Amino acid sequence: MNPQLESFRYDDAIVRKFLWATFIWGLIGMTVGLLIALQLAVPALNLDIPWLSFGRLRPLHTNAVIFAFAGNAFFTGAYYSSQRLLKTRMFSDALSAVHFWGWQLIIVLAALTLPLGFTQAKEYAELEWPIDILIAVVWVVFAINFFGTLAKRRERHLYVALWFYIASIVTVAILHIFNNLSVPAGPLKSYSIYAGVQDAFMQWWYGHNAVAFFLTTPFLGLMYYFLPKAADKPIFSYRLSILHFWTIVFLYIWAGPHHLHYTALPEWASTLGMIFSVMLWMPSWGGMINGLLTLRGAWRKVVEDPILKFYVVAITAYGMSTFEGPMLSVRSVNALAHYTDWIIAHVHTGALGWNGFLAFGMIYWLAPRLFQTKLHSQKMAELHFWLATFGIILYVTAIYSAGLTQGLMWRAYDATGRLEYPAFIETVMRLMPMYWLRVAGGSLYLTGMVLFGYNLFRTWKSRPAAYEEPVIQAAPLAGDYEELTAPRPAGALARFAQAAWHRTWERLPVTFTVMVAVAVIVASLFEIIPTFLIKSNVPTIASVKPYTPLELAGRDLYIREGCFNCHSQMIRPLRYETDRYGEYSKPGEFVYDHPFLWGSRRIGPDLAREGGKYPDLWHVRHMRHPKDIEAKSIMPGYPWMLTNQLDFDGIQRKVDAMVMLGVPYGDAVTDAPAMARAQAQAIAQSIASQGGPADLSDKEIVAMVAYLQRLGRDVSAPAAASAAGAP
Amino acid sequence: MSASHDEDRLLHHDYDGIQEYDNPMPRWWLYIFWGTIVWAVLFWFNVPGIGVGQGRIADYDASVAAANAARPPEPVAGPSADQLLAMSKDPAALASGKTVFGAYCVACHGPDGGGVIGPNLTDAFWIHGGSPAAVYATVHDGVLAKGMPAWGQSLKPDEVTAVVAYVISLQGTTPAAPKPPEGTADTAAATPASGS
Repeated sequence: MNPQLESFRYDDAIVRKFLWATFIWGLIGMTVGLLIALQLAVPALNLDIPWLSFGRLRPLHTNAVIFAFAGNAFFTGAYYSSQRLLKTRMFSDALSAVHFWGWQLIIVLAALTLPLGFTQAKEYAELEWPIDILIAVVWVVFAINFFGTLAKRRERHLYVALWFYIASIVTVAILHIFNNLSVPAGPLKSYSIYAGVQDAFMQWWYGHNAVAFFLTTPFLGLMYYFLPKAADKPIFSYRLSILHFWTIVFLYIWAGPHHLHYTALPEWASTLGMIFSVMLWMPSWGGMINGLLTLRGAWRKVVEDPILKFYVVAITAYGMSTFEGPMLSVRSVNALAHYTDWIIAHVHTGALGWNGFLAFGMIYWLAPRLFQTKLHSQKMAELHFWLATFGIILYVTAIYSAGLTQGLMWRAYDATGRLEYPAFIETVMRLMPMYWLRVAGGSLYLTGMVLFGYNLFRTWKSRPAAYEEPVIQAAPLAGDYEELTAPRPAGALARFAQAAWHRTWERLPVTFTVMVAVAVIVASLFEIIPTFLIKSNVPTIASVKPYTPLELAGRDLYIREGCFNCHSQMIRPLRYETDRYGEYSKPGEFVYDHPFLWGSRRIGPDLAREGGKYPDLWHVRHMRHPKDIEAKSIMPGYPWMLTNQLDFDGIQRKVDAMVMLGVPYGDAVTDAPAMARAQAQAIAQSIASQGGPADLSDKEIVAMVAYLQRLGRDVSAPAAASAAGAP
Repeated sequence: MSASHDEDRLLHHDYDGIQEYDNPMPRWWLYIFWGTIVWAVLFWFNVPGIGVGQGRIADYDASVAAANAARPPEPVAGPSADQLLAMSKDPAALASGKTVFGAYCVACHGPDGGGVIGPNLTDAFWIHGGSPAAVYATVHDGVLAKGMPAWGQSLKPDEVTAVVAYVISLQGTTPAAPKPPEGTADTAAATPASGS
């Protein structure tokens, strides 16, 4: 035996932990998803219980599926594959444990705080500031553990899977920190340091790249390890790996603003997002091609092996959603699809198909190896595959149809030049059959998940009394190293294409990581700097004033209840929008909006010009029991707002935080509660005089009404404020 | 995806048993990639301020102007009082008026017009006048300050007429929970000749 060999063991106990966490959180996240899908079809299921209402549960569903299910799946695969690709145990078992338990703690905290209404109101970044700090700390622990493992590796070069892990770890840290910068206004309350247009930009820079660097690059890394392992085939093309990796890293970062076409975001920014999204099409497909072509000659195996079947559907779903992404980023397509269920269908192709199926395939492959026994039932895995596949098909076909239907109904005109469907509720009712189909599809997928769990459980039950921990031997890296060089072709271009330069980077993890960070940061700054520095992006509107203290409190209730999950506050300059909702939204209207509340989906109508449209009592009755106003409404009721006491004294702290952010509050700085009480009295009187309940002046509903009645009125001259809302 | 399959050349890479081929990138893939880059550069010239594009606001203004030009002329005046009174006794007109009322008006005026947030429509008291022309004007143009939308903008002309006729037909009926009178007794208020 070579005396230079070192002996060590892989840490698979941590991988087993992450595996179980993946399943448990996946089951919970998908169950919540099914519940909220049912709530749209049967609004009574909101049960008039605050922590069970759609607006609070929807973020729980998205966070659980993204960060708990997909996150733990990534960690499962990364901990398993990194040790083997680097021929070493993880850097530190203690850090592995801190990472595991810290991450699960974050998820538990999310599952508690989101239903209780603690939220920053930014999609996929809802968690409040103390949890954000915890996320940053745990992520850094993961990073130290991972890069420490790279440092003590016994494999000279980094395999492509590791490139993708590096990109994910570095970029998620950057995204998380810069989107969540906020000023605390309480133990679980904060305001984004950015306002309006800039906040929207930062949010979608983050939001889109969360899709990129939390759901795409980590899973591409997993694919590069677990697919060739399961298929027992070499990767199709090393050069394709290089090109599609770097182009994904550099191009993805720019794409975020395509979420904001036709909004108050400057047109150059959303166009930049669009053209980079289109350029991203082929780099994304590079991953698909490398995956599918790796299976050349293995297709017979695919027929027999449920694991490879999961991979094939996963990669196909990835290919479909990364074609659809660029297509949706095109302005005219986006005008139709934005705010509709089309986007929901798009993300579910990605989440259920790509992330879900890749995780399932990976775990079916891992389970016998980690539990050191046979998989309990191959047949059951096969059944899981078919149930989940039909579940996805049913889900996305229904929801694509729903999106197209509603998008087309919103823009339909009749022969007299009026909107064909002026009542928003008509466009909602048309979706009901499709909402039921979605419930059916989701149920199939969830049934598959239950089978998956049972299969895993039975496999685990038949594990050996004690796990074997085989001793691995590998030589440490020698200090001196000469790159094996192939004959150098003549000509600079040919040499570049030979990628020997990249081969050198692959054995220099620090250089490699720095290059990734530079690519991501440079691309970000190209967009961020002009967004923040060009004054003309947000022309000032003199008549736009800060919210009164009471309206600010009401805005926080709007945030607490998650109203932004179903209502946008952004009227696009499109004729069918202004005919329906009123004057299109201007950038200058949002300068005091910390955070912005433009929303991304219209399950209910836009509220940007809601102020003054209806009497105060209308809102009171509507919030208490929406069906009193619109018999077919699917909005949950908020009866607790009529009985909960408003915390007047707490308003001072909100105002103080806003002052810190530069919102000009003048006198209210010292006397916010008194100002709020005075305004509350006036509104309560108006409600009573209209025939409503007499004793609402100290209840939350008054603040909510104050906020809703303010929406969108400032832009018209103060004298004409009462006419706001008229097109 | 070409003849290169036959020439698969394994690199000397081996990571935990995973190997890699040195295959070239598929040509169609490269061509489309270059194509999107060229397109991206060209499209940049569509951005207002940078290139020749007019921009979304100009596009919007143009679309509104075009729609206004193409809109069929609206009748200058609404239906006459006599027409409305006649319709308020015509079962077909009342049926369609009732449908419109059920969809848009009940939220504020109650299912039987007895008034909830908005006033009682069955009594002889009117805030904005009770003559057929006044009721028509209130419905068509709205009273935005009080939360009454301008229905003429969103409903079709015959829907507005039908619902006004229906409202006139409610005069003298007895709602389940009438809201107390608001406004003034309008002596000119039109009552359907043979109220139901």
